[in-house]
Amino acid sequence: MQTATYKNVLAGLTVADAMRRQIVRLSASDPISQAIRCTIKFKVNAVLIDTDAQQAVGVVSKTDLMSAYYAGFDLETPLEAIMVGPPTLCRPDAPLDEALKSMQTHGIHRLYVKPDGPHPLNGVLAYPDIVGLLYRFCRRCEKSTTGRKLGTAKEDWAEMLRVREVMTPKLIQAGRDQTLSEVMELLSGHRLGAVLIHDDTGLPLGVVSKTDLIAAYMHGLDPTTVAAADIMKGPPLACEENDLLSETLWVMIYNDVYRMFVYRDRPENMVGVLSLSDAARFRSGSCKACLSSRIQL
Amino acid sequence: MPETAAEVMDTDFPTLRPDTTVQEAARILQQLNDKPGPRVFGLMVTDNENRLVGMFSIYDLLLLARPKHMHIYGEMTDIDFSGLLAKVGRSIRGVLVGDVMSTNLITVTPETHILMIVDLMIKKHVRRIPVLEEGKIVGIVYLSRVFRRLLDHILSE
Repeated sequence: MQTATYKNVLAGLTVADAMRRQIVRLSASDPISQAIRCTIKFKVNAVLIDTDAQQAVGVVSKTDLMSAYYAGFDLETPLEAIMVGPPTLCRPDAPLDEALKSMQTHGIHRLYVKPDGPHPLNGVLAYPDIVGLLYRFCRRCEKSTTGRKLGTAKEDWAEMLRVREVMTPKLIQAGRDQTLSEVMELLSGHRLGAVLIHDDTGLPLGVVSKTDLIAAYMHGLDPTTVAAADIMKGPPLACEENDLLSETLWVMIYNDVYRMFVYRDRPENMVGVLSLSDAARFRSGSCKACLSSRIQL
Repeated sequence: MPETAAEVMDTDFPTLRPDTTVQEAARILQQLNDKPGPRVFGLMVTDNENRLVGMFSIYDLLLLARPKHMHIYGEMTDIDFSGLLAKVGRSIRGVLVGDVMSTNLITVTPETHILMIVDLMIKKHVRRIPVLEEGKIVGIVYLSRVFRRLLDHILSE
């Protein structure tokens, strides 16, 4: 039966349907400062390092840039010294689901896309890229919130996904006076993108992300003396754990953020983080609404 | 006439510093464009010793303004995005020019032939090129000036 095959909305889609075609490229001899500028300006989490002959030799991610800051590398150090490589590749016609699975098994955040033959890389696939597709297909689903607004959906709202079902129920916090070095230790120790900064009484004040840290690197701030409160962005964008996932996703996209902090009952009581990666990993194949309605592409 | 950069370059050029905010840069760009003369869509960025360290242009600003989830917006046709432009304006005004300026620059000397500049503008997709003499900035060539000079020659007898 066909329904058994289409147990997941991403079935039938290929990497090429979801990938981004703009790849930010630098050369191994470019300085660290150049990579920081690119991540800020192009709003990407990593840059590809390739040769003049367009051969991909490595990747420099925000994590690598943050580690360079922590280790005290000069901003003019060539990227060669910190790049990780070569990049993990996939084919544009590979099933999207397979690509996602391979990202998950290898614990990597992006795949570069290379067609067969002597062609250069032509795209990059990261979790947030899939969110748009999910949005498209979930909206078609008669149980989506859009459907509800249009009055076409069934009255079966217990099955709607809530933030708490998808979020990472772990929260790393730092005090406002902790140094940037300490914040970086927390981030790399827990493999996170941002920490919540709280005041002396435990109230959330703001957020320090990898992006804020590498901007601090660029501005020459000493990570061993500057405090988290000096560079944090705030107040943190937050939602309640019982909010609808679809609506929370919309808030994240409208505000152009990658993550939202999740509280229980009161904003002071933070319990987790919801990132676009969480939302993409928890793709609609496992969405209850989707499983029961078995929508087809 | 020698037909070089020296003839078409502007020698009265404001510059930005890497620690100038995007808001301040926007104010300078707006003031420049309120005055008669060529439209200015990009400025040179210099350090404390007036050495050229980058260019800050319209394209850098457009990239900075573009939301990182832009590719998803196309899917979200059922959602009202009004007010987003104002929100973007507010969120980028505090960014420093030095964080987003372009640093892989192409420069010429006052002796560079105008057709060489035409070639560079075509190949490198740039609309303005700083003119340096022994490492010191002496002017900037705008595409519009090159264009006007070309028109003169097309129309001359």
